[in-house]
Amino acid sequence: MKKFFARFGKSEASVAWLFMTPGLILLALFVFWPIIYSVPLALTNYSVIGKTEFVGLDNFVKALQDKSFITSLLNSLLYVIVVPFIQIISILMAILVNSNVKGIKLFRTAYYIPVVTSMVAVALIWGWLLNQNGVINYVLTNVGLMKEPITWLSNKDTALWTLMFITMWKGLGYYMMIYLAGLQSVPKDLTEAAMIDGANRAQTIRKITIPLLKPYVFFCTLISLMAAIRVFDEVFILTMGGPGDATLTSSLYIYQQGFQQFNFGYSSALGLIVSVMIGALSIVIFRFNRKGGVNPY
Amino acid sequence: MRKKPLRFVKLLLLYGALILFAIFMMGPFLWILSVSLMPGKNVFSSPPAILPTFIDFDNFVQVWNYMDFPRYLMNTVIIALMGVVMNIFFSCLTAYPLAVFRFKGRDLIFTLLVATMIIPAAAGMVVNYLTVKALGLMGGFLAVVLPSAVTVFNVFLMRQAFMGMPHELRDSGKVDGAGEFRIWLQLALPIVKPAIAVIGLLEFMAMWNSFLWPMIVLNDTKQYPIASALSFLNGQFSYNFGWIAAGTVISVIPIIIVFLCTQKYYMEGVSGAVKG
Repeated sequence: MKKFFARFGKSEASVAWLFMTPGLILLALFVFWPIIYSVPLALTNYSVIGKTEFVGLDNFVKALQDKSFITSLLNSLLYVIVVPFIQIISILMAILVNSNVKGIKLFRTAYYIPVVTSMVAVALIWGWLLNQNGVINYVLTNVGLMKEPITWLSNKDTALWTLMFITMWKGLGYYMMIYLAGLQSVPKDLTEAAMIDGANRAQTIRKITIPLLKPYVFFCTLISLMAAIRVFDEVFILTMGGPGDATLTSSLYIYQQGFQQFNFGYSSALGLIVSVMIGALSIVIFRFNRKGGVNPY
Repeated sequence: MRKKPLRFVKLLLLYGALILFAIFMMGPFLWILSVSLMPGKNVFSSPPAILPTFIDFDNFVQVWNYMDFPRYLMNTVIIALMGVVMNIFFSCLTAYPLAVFRFKGRDLIFTLLVATMIIPAAAGMVVNYLTVKALGLMGGFLAVVLPSAVTVFNVFLMRQAFMGMPHELRDSGKVDGAGEFRIWLQLALPIVKPAIAVIGLLEFMAMWNSFLWPMIVLNDTKQYPIASALSFLNGQFSYNFGWIAAGTVISVIPIIIVFLCTQKYYMEGVSGAVKG
C-alpha cells in the first residue's frame, strides 16, 4: 500500500487523477449513482406518499405479474423490427447521394434536416399528417391505395407501426451519413480493378462494397437497435402508450411508474430489469460480431 | 453513340429518385410552413392545402404576441450554451489523461465508462431527479444542464481525438519546462479543435431539442426551453392549428440555420465517430 502511494505521488497518475476528477465526479453523480442507487431503491416501496419500507424482491415479483410491463417489453422488442428497414433504406439513400452529380450536397443536406429538428416538432407535424382527416389519408384514398381513411395513431393495430415509421423517418439521414462515409472509404481502384477483371456491377457490390461496409452496418445496427429498444420521445408525445397498451414501451412504462404514479421503488426495479436485459443483449451482439471476424473499431 | 442516351436516362432516373426522397424527407416541413402561412386554413381541410395559395404572417404575429418567444429562445440559448461549455471543458479534461497518460487503472476506468452507455435513459431519470432535488438545484437552469454536463459519449470522442496527438509534442513541452496543465491548454487543445467543434455542435442540438427533462426539473413554464414550450403550447391550444404550426416553424428554424452554417464540421464529426 505504501509503495502504491509513493509511486502515486511521483508518477503521472496524480496529474492524471487531477485532470479527471471534475468530470469523474459529475459522471459518478449522474451516471454511476443512478445505477448503484436504483438497487436499494428497487427493494423498497419508496413513493411520495406513505412510509418507505424494505420490501425485498416484491417489486420484481410484481413486475413479472404486471401485464402492462410484459406488454411494454414485448412492444419494445417488436419495435426492433424497425432496425433492418432503417439499414436497407439508409444504405439505399447513401448509394444515391454517393453519386457525383450537380447539387448532390443540397440533397444530402435536405435528407439530414429531420435529424437536427426536435422530436416534439416532428411528432406534431406527423401527428397532423396522419390524422384521420389528414393529408396522408387524403392522398392514399384518392390514389386508390385505401378505401377508407385509417386512424393511424389511434388504431391499436396500426399505432405501433406508425410510430416505428416516424422513428425511422427521423433517423434515416443520420444513418445515411454514416453509410456514406463507409462508401467513400471504399477505394475506387479496388472496384475499378474488379471491373477490369470482368466482374459486373452486382459482383463488385457483393464482393467488395458490402464486405467493406460491414463494420458500418454493425455500428448502425447496434446504435439503431439500442435507440429502438429505448424509444421514448415519439411515444410520449404522440400516443402516451395508447390506445390501451398498444404502444406502451418499456421506457415509457418506467417513466409513468416513476413520474406519474410516483412509485419510485417499482420504477427503479423495472429500470434494473430492462438494463440487465439490454446489457445481456449487447453482450450477445458483440460476441456474435467477434465470431464473424469483423472489428468495428 | 449508343452510350449517350443511356447515360441520360440513368441521370434522369437518379435525379428522379433523389427528388422523390427529398419530397419524403422535406415534404412535412414544407407542408407545416405552408399551413403556418395561411391563417384560418384548417390542417384537415379537404383537399389538403399543400402549397400556400396566399401568404399571411398573422399566425406568427399572434402566437409571438401570445407566447413570450424571445424569452423561450433566450432560455434555450442559455441552456444550450451552458451545456456546450461544460461538455467541452469537462470532456477535454477527463479524456486527456485517458488518451495520453500511462497510469494504473486507466483501462478499467475507460471500460467502466463505456459500459454505462447501454443503460436506458428512463432508468436513471428517477434517481437523477432525487439527486438534483437533494442538491437544491430544482427550478434552475443548472438542474437542466448538470446531469448531462459531461457525457460518456463525448469523453469517448475526445479520447479518440487526443490519441491522434503526436507523442513528441508533450515531450517537447516538458523540455521547455511547461507544466502538464499548460501543455494541455496550449499544445493539446489546439490540435483537437475539430473534435471540440463536433461535440459543441452535437451538444447544442441535443440541448436545443430536449423537452422532457426540462419539464421535470423546472417549476415555472416561463423558464422552459423552446422544445418544452412547444410541447406545452400543443397541450394548451391543440385546436389552434395555425398557432401551433407557426410555433413549430419558429422553434425549428434556428436549429436548421445553425446546422446549415456548421454542417461541414458536423458531418465530419458524425462520420468520424464511427471510424474512431
